[in-house]
Amino acid sequence: MKEVLLLSHVLFGVAGIIATVWLFVDVLNANEGNRVRIRWMSRAAALFLWVAFVIGGYWYVADYKADKAVILKGPWPFAHNYFMETKEHFVITLLLLAAYLPISSCNNLAANKEARRLVLCVAALVAALALMAEGHGAIIAMGVKVASLGTPH
Amino acid sequence: MENTVVSKHTLSFGLSLAVCAVLNALLVIAKEERKGVVDGMQKITGHQWITHVAIVLVLFALFGWLFGGMNNGQGPKMPVNRLTITILAGVVAGVVTIVGFYLIAD
Repeated sequence: MKEVLLLSHVLFGVAGIIATVWLFVDVLNANEGNRVRIRWMSRAAALFLWVAFVIGGYWYVADYKADKAVILKGPWPFAHNYFMETKEHFVITLLLLAAYLPISSCNNLAANKEARRLVLCVAALVAALALMAEGHGAIIAMGVKVASLGTPH
Repeated sequence: MENTVVSKHTLSFGLSLAVCAVLNALLVIAKEERKGVVDGMQKITGHQWITHVAIVLVLFALFGWLFGGMNNGQGPKMPVNRLTITILAGVVAGVVTIVGFYLIAD
């Protein structure tokens, strides 16, 4: 069950990044033809990232304690002390940005250059923070792995 | 002529986002520097991180609603480009503060 949760967390995170990049490209070419798709993609990106957050949050509260103990006894304690501590806090900002994507995408982007720039900025921040979260997650997982193997690789 | 009008909620929740990104970082520092803060947050929901998330989400909704009520309910008056820069500055400041704080603290 724990593995399913972790894989789902990563899966929805990646889906959120893909939806955000799709949204970014669509907004670059905003016109009357893709107006509805832009709105749905902004909602999809927000939904995927919120689901990833809820699953990851549940795992963090319910299951992470054991992994934390393993990491701290291993050769990569920074995987918790720095990467998990950082990730668990900046993802809250990512959650707010994801929630804001559909709000900022509801304007007439085809006719409003400034609104378009706003959505592009928010989408870029979402993609950057989500990729950062994925990278942090990989290092945390590696922290558990090297601790279990006993030697750093 | 180019349309430059955006919805009231785009402005109010955009400002709220910038403010809450910074408050999130300040709450991290408060938790790490004052044990009483983290203990108090632990008691509220049973886990300090859940309380942290709840506080930031409630503040985001609250500030969004309050900013939306400015100017007799018409919302904040500001150019969209300035809002974009404000969001960018707030988010970057918040994330850099968190990343920098743990780099120094670790």
